[in-house]
Amino acid sequence: MTTPEGPRYVLRLFVTGTTSRSQRAITNMQRICEENLAGRYDLEVIDVYQDPEATRDLQVIATPTLVKLLPEPLRRIIGDLSDREKVLAGLDLMPARRGSDPAP
Amino acid sequence: MDHLPARIAALEQQLREANETLDAIRNGEVDAVVVGGPAGQIVYTLENADRPYRVLVEQMKEGAVTLSGDGMILYCNHSFAMLVDCRFEAIVGSSLFDHIADRPMVERMLAAPDAADAAEVSLRSSGTRAIPVNMSIVELQVEDGSPRMLCAIVTDLSHNYARAREVAEANARLASEMRQRSRAEENLAIALDAADMASWELSVDNEMVTSWGFAIGIEQFVDEDRADVMAAMDAARHNGALEFEKRILRPPENALRWIYVKGRVPPGLQGRERLAGIMLDVTERHLVDEQLRQAQKMEAVGQLTGGIAHDFNNLLMIIGGSLEIVARRAKLDERERKLIDAAQIGVARGAKLNQQLLAFARRQDMRVETVCINDLLPDFETLLDRALGEAIRVEIARGGNLWYCSTDPHQLETAILNLAINARDAMIDGGTLTFATANATVSEAFARRWDAKAGDYVVTVVTDTGSGMAPDIVARVFEPFFTTKGVGRGTGLGLSQVYGFARQSSGFVTIDSRIGAGTTVSIYLPRAAAPKDVQPAVRTAPAIERYQGKVLLVEDDAEVRAATSAMIEELGYTVLPAAAGGEALDLLARDEAIDIVFSDVIMATGMTGIELAREIRKRRPDLPVLLTSGYTAQHRVPPATRENFPLLRKPYTIADLSHALRDVADGVAERSE
Repeated sequence: MTTPEGPRYVLRLFVTGTTSRSQRAITNMQRICEENLAGRYDLEVIDVYQDPEATRDLQVIATPTLVKLLPEPLRRIIGDLSDREKVLAGLDLMPARRGSDPAP
Repeated sequence: MDHLPARIAALEQQLREANETLDAIRNGEVDAVVVGGPAGQIVYTLENADRPYRVLVEQMKEGAVTLSGDGMILYCNHSFAMLVDCRFEAIVGSSLFDHIADRPMVERMLAAPDAADAAEVSLRSSGTRAIPVNMSIVELQVEDGSPRMLCAIVTDLSHNYARAREVAEANARLASEMRQRSRAEENLAIALDAADMASWELSVDNEMVTSWGFAIGIEQFVDEDRADVMAAMDAARHNGALEFEKRILRPPENALRWIYVKGRVPPGLQGRERLAGIMLDVTERHLVDEQLRQAQKMEAVGQLTGGIAHDFNNLLMIIGGSLEIVARRAKLDERERKLIDAAQIGVARGAKLNQQLLAFARRQDMRVETVCINDLLPDFETLLDRALGEAIRVEIARGGNLWYCSTDPHQLETAILNLAINARDAMIDGGTLTFATANATVSEAFARRWDAKAGDYVVTVVTDTGSGMAPDIVARVFEPFFTTKGVGRGTGLGLSQVYGFARQSSGFVTIDSRIGAGTTVSIYLPRAAAPKDVQPAVRTAPAIERYQGKVLLVEDDAEVRAATSAMIEELGYTVLPAAAGGEALDLLARDEAIDIVFSDVIMATGMTGIELAREIRKRRPDLPVLLTSGYTAQHRVPPATRENFPLLRKPYTIADLSHALRDVADGVAERSE
């Protein structure tokens, strides 16, 4: 369910090196962005090994964690992002708890 | 109060996030936990998160080692174990220094890992074999208070070293080849230079670019040779080889030079434009060849002339002898006597011509004396003045300290006269004739050009300021009967006599002449030791007297024999004729009464007159022998033996014969006239 028009999304994905969970999180997030936010998102992947200080401002305490900086409010979604609906809900792209309403 | 519901929703959201995080951690859905502290954010990875790095480290080609601060190995990867060729279990716990050769350097690196960049050290494999490696050491960050930990990465450089060695060897080989090549080129250049050769290469403009420093294009070749050169070049493109000897006008002064060119298309480049080779200036050789050919031709002409003159002398002998006897015996009227006189003058002229022929053929009898030509100059001066006339000025340049030479002064005089006459004819409107004498030391190269021997010579130079001669005329002037003078004005034997005389004296003649620039002829006569005592030759006038006695006449030519017999008998002798040496010896054995033997030298069959004379001298040493010859065949008769017998030259008159016979009978070893 693409929404060509809408606010621009600024996203940060914190991962831990090359662990399989991190790899999965990166893959999942890329797919979700392309399917739902094509043309209106900035996704940065941050390896906490290389830049541990980057976690401080956004209060990331575990990885993988996706942080939605914009649009507000700021949201954090933890895990490998394999729960697509949970991710979409966290990104305000779909009402939470209304997973029964399928896309047309 | 309106903002409360929103505030509650936000807090609910935060709470949900916190719960989700806790759940995720609790459920093991995270890899790492980030904990903030005073020293910064610290990432605590969970066990499974390390695995990909372990795999990476284990798989990598470089050796990886974790060390304690004092160098004890805490961990090493598979590659390191392979490098040092030890079991993994034996490595962990051992000291890094057990495995390396350069302890001081590694100690420095351990002490200050950040200060030292990577360094090359020797790793000991199985404790003995040294492997060159690159080692870098970094300090691992540890918590405060924990002991130091370091991490070393070891890269095997054997392969690099081997490669570097190969490259170095290849470089050295290349350098050596280049040295050899440049040396070979240098040697070639030296060799070419030593041989007066140049190397050349055909340029894109079809010019031969030479190492002499100039290029030779087709336009440098003389007109007549150009077509041949172009044909040779075309042919070279097909058959790959080039060779020719042609004339060029050599830059920059356009000197006419003969060049010999040899070249080829480099192997494997058939049909291509590349052509290179050597070049040699052969002008000098052409000159020498030309002169040598000329000398050889003259020699051949001389041989031929000598043979003809010999026969001619015999004919003159028959005619002259017969005429003389007829004149003496017959009762002739005035008119008949005039006719006989005319015939005898003809014989005398023929004899004189023949003498010149013989002089050219070098068969004339030489009366060799050791003379200083300067002593003869007064005689020559008189001669020249008389021969040249008023219009021509004569200058004499007398060479200082002139050497002696062995020559026949009379023939030299004839030669000078011949040259003077030629000079006079070349200076119809007057001019100057310079007559000079000098000492000359002739080099090998110069002598070769004139087919002569190197050494000391006395040179007599006759120079005129006359019209000069073209090169094609100069090339032929020594040939007998070659003359540029009108019919009846020259015999064409003048310069032939000069040539023959010089050769017979073991010398040579050079000629230099150019149209409008006069002619210089130089007669080179070999130097001789100064004589102790020079006796002037005394010649007495012949007179006819009558004698008695028996003369054994040996002559193979029947007509000559008949004429000679008549002449001898005319003198009062009786004649015993013999046709060959053997027959003469038989007659001599039978007849004790023979008083004189008179023999021809050259006979067609049997022994020569010389051999006969020797035999007679053995058998009857007191019997006088007189020899006669149409020419003194120096090629056949050794000079030493010739000296021992008196010789009468043909043709001779009755008076000559009378004189010679009387002298031998009187025991006077007089030379023939």
